[in-house]
Amino acid sequence: MIEFDHVTRTYGPKPAVTDLSLSIPRGELFALLGPNGAGKTTTIKMLVGLLRPSRGAVRICGYDLTKEARSAHLHTGYVPDEPTLYDKLTGREFLWFIADMFGMPRHMATQKIGREIEHFELAEFCDDLTESYSLGMKQRLVFAAALLHDPDVLVLDEPMVGLDPRSVRIVKDLLRTRTQEGMTVFMSTHTLAMAEEMADRVGIMVRGQLRFLGTIAELRDHMALETTNLENLYLELTTAGPDAS
Amino acid sequence: MTGTSWWGRSGRGPQSESCRLLSVDAESRVFSRLRATIAWETLRFMLSGARLRLALVVLLSAVFWGSLYALFIEGFSFLESIHAEVISLLFNAFFSSLMIMLVFSTAILLYGNMYCSTEAKVLLTLPVRDEAIFAHKFHEAMWFSSWGFILLGSPMLVAYGVVRGSPWTYYLLLLPFMVSFVVIPATLGAICCMAAVAWLGSLRVHALAMLGVVVCAGAAWLGWSLFGSSPAAGGTTEWFEQVLARLSIAEQKFLPSWWLSSGLLDAAQNSTQPETRFASLLEAVKFLAVLVSNGMLLQLLARWLARSCYRQGYSQLVGEMPARRQRRIAWTDEFLSAAGTARGRPLRLLLVKDLRLFRRDIAQWSQFVIFFGLLGLYFFNLRVFNYNVAYASMISFLNLAVAGLILSTFTTRFVYPMISLEGRRFWILGLLPVHRDQILWSKFLFSFLGGVVPCCALLYLSDSMLGISQSLIWVHEICCVVLCMGLSGIAVGLGARMPDLRESSPAKIAAGFGGTLCLVLSSLFIMAVVVIAATPTHLAMATRAFGGGGPPPTGILGWASGPQGTAASLLLVGFLGVIATFLPLELGLRAFRRLEP
Repeated sequence: MIEFDHVTRTYGPKPAVTDLSLSIPRGELFALLGPNGAGKTTTIKMLVGLLRPSRGAVRICGYDLTKEARSAHLHTGYVPDEPTLYDKLTGREFLWFIADMFGMPRHMATQKIGREIEHFELAEFCDDLTESYSLGMKQRLVFAAALLHDPDVLVLDEPMVGLDPRSVRIVKDLLRTRTQEGMTVFMSTHTLAMAEEMADRVGIMVRGQLRFLGTIAELRDHMALETTNLENLYLELTTAGPDAS
Repeated sequence: MTGTSWWGRSGRGPQSESCRLLSVDAESRVFSRLRATIAWETLRFMLSGARLRLALVVLLSAVFWGSLYALFIEGFSFLESIHAEVISLLFNAFFSSLMIMLVFSTAILLYGNMYCSTEAKVLLTLPVRDEAIFAHKFHEAMWFSSWGFILLGSPMLVAYGVVRGSPWTYYLLLLPFMVSFVVIPATLGAICCMAAVAWLGSLRVHALAMLGVVVCAGAAWLGWSLFGSSPAAGGTTEWFEQVLARLSIAEQKFLPSWWLSSGLLDAAQNSTQPETRFASLLEAVKFLAVLVSNGMLLQLLARWLARSCYRQGYSQLVGEMPARRQRRIAWTDEFLSAAGTARGRPLRLLLVKDLRLFRRDIAQWSQFVIFFGLLGLYFFNLRVFNYNVAYASMISFLNLAVAGLILSTFTTRFVYPMISLEGRRFWILGLLPVHRDQILWSKFLFSFLGGVVPCCALLYLSDSMLGISQSLIWVHEICCVVLCMGLSGIAVGLGARMPDLRESSPAKIAAGFGGTLCLVLSSLFIMAVVVIAATPTHLAMATRAFGGGGPPPTGILGWASGPQGTAASLLLVGFLGVIATFLPLELGLRAFRRLEP
């Protein structure tokens, strides 16, 4: 569903992502970990078409993001790290705008908007202008918008920021259900516990390179350390030199 | 609202059961509805929560429109009586300079809307054509860059029609002519913007700076050739004819401004012969067709460019290296931090911080430089004309008011929101060992010192060009200092009294009720100061003019028009300044001490 094919992205002379090759199949929840400045945000931006690779190709459902961005976007839902909404639209109007942009038939849009309002418990405030929302309310609305068209691929950039524990639980349950139904999730996070709990596989990026790719169990085997704590494994991997892998 | 669309009306039935890519028309419709909904919600908000501001905007626009209309009626009547062909020259000069400004303003607005806004970031991740996003943002940018033209141009063109006794078809064609003209420079601006981002890369800043320098140099050369190097004395018929001869440079047949001018002049023809009238109308329609067809061609080109390189340009821009780093401390900062007593150091450090933020915010200093620069240019050119003493004095007081009004827009736009923005960062200042009063005083000093230097210098320039007496220059300078104090006090005091701690945009903070009130109070204060200061001087001139060489007036009129009157008016101005400075500041200080962010 998601494919990075020898992707390199540079900022001026400085490489942000170097020769990234990664394939994520249908129904997998993939977590991308790494310290600040490792290249996670660049990777996410290339995956949603905001940045073009300097070399290589990124594909979603077989569509090249550089050549067929619209078709790729039709299959993608995106939750950015900072929720961006139209201040002068209500939450419901925003969901209708998204539904219209995805060309959803009216009866289906009505049904799915109702469904997402219920899932994310938006009913209380979804007819207020979004300028009055708290960060958590905005984030829940953005989640609802991203899932509205039942995307094949969901891209999440630090998804739990601003959410209260109940909302976090809702999101986790929803991700589990949707991945079981075949949705692929690509998530960038600093929350190791979340990755440990949710991810089928993790990728750890350091200085623009994928230092590790596999399951948590494989990471433990790979590191061959006494500790089984993911935090210690992560710190060991991300602070070690380039040859650590 | 369940069961109805997000814009509140029923749509057609489904065409397929799954998501699908939209057609060009459907994308356009969705964006149109988005803009309509946002515009409606904004209007609803203004009608319910910002009535004062809306009423002021409508009232001032109506006054502005009416004043311009009256002015143009007088102007066109005068020109018609002298030489009707002059109007063609003036139209060409006006529309061609407007065209250049529209190219730049649209390019700048589109750069912000298409490449730097968070909305663009969202839209680029949706299954929508790049050219549809461009068209959506272009609509916004064109409206924002051209509403001034509509406000300024409509009274001029209506007045021209009235003076010429034009047929009704002229008024019918006005709006299509104006809109079709505006599309051309706006689209050219859009093309330049997208091409510069996509193909010039990081060199675009240098290229744009060079272009800016070239345009400024061209404008300066043109200004000089029109007004500065004229051998004839300013204001004489000979001088006027020389200026008009030089304005003919704007009459180029390949320019859209010429098509517009010619079309309007043809449409305005009022012939008694039906055949001649019809022929003129036909000519006008032909010019309109030329404007529309060129606008459409440019739109096609712009959309092709958006399809080809908008996303590529966006990607390049996002991928550029972070902004430059400040390598050393400015000498002004060092001096301000070190000078003075240790007790006043926190206040000076706060001042240095605000100075740094001002220097690094291009929106602030560029507007400051542009507005005061234009004012300086206008003052500098005052010497072209010869004035009598009374007229020069009147202009000098009007210039004082203009400088004050420009400063008041800055204090409202940039100083008033400072406390609200500081409130959002209160965790920084709130934990420092600084008294809250000092924070407010630092804002006041920042505003006062920032305003008083350019305003006093500009007024001195204005008075020198007008040949004003030394005593009146002192009166103006004292008034200017009082104005700067009062305007700073009003902006800082009201900003602290009515902070908007939830809003992060200074423009939105300034546009709220408090900001509008600040602007209104500032304007009233300026008017009061100028009227009080001008009264004794003009009373003296009036008594001299109407006295017919008789004995000087006695009693209250004599006292008011003499030096005692001037001294009393300055005392009154000073008193008003103290009230305007310290009353809002005291209210603000009290509120700021109690502020719980």
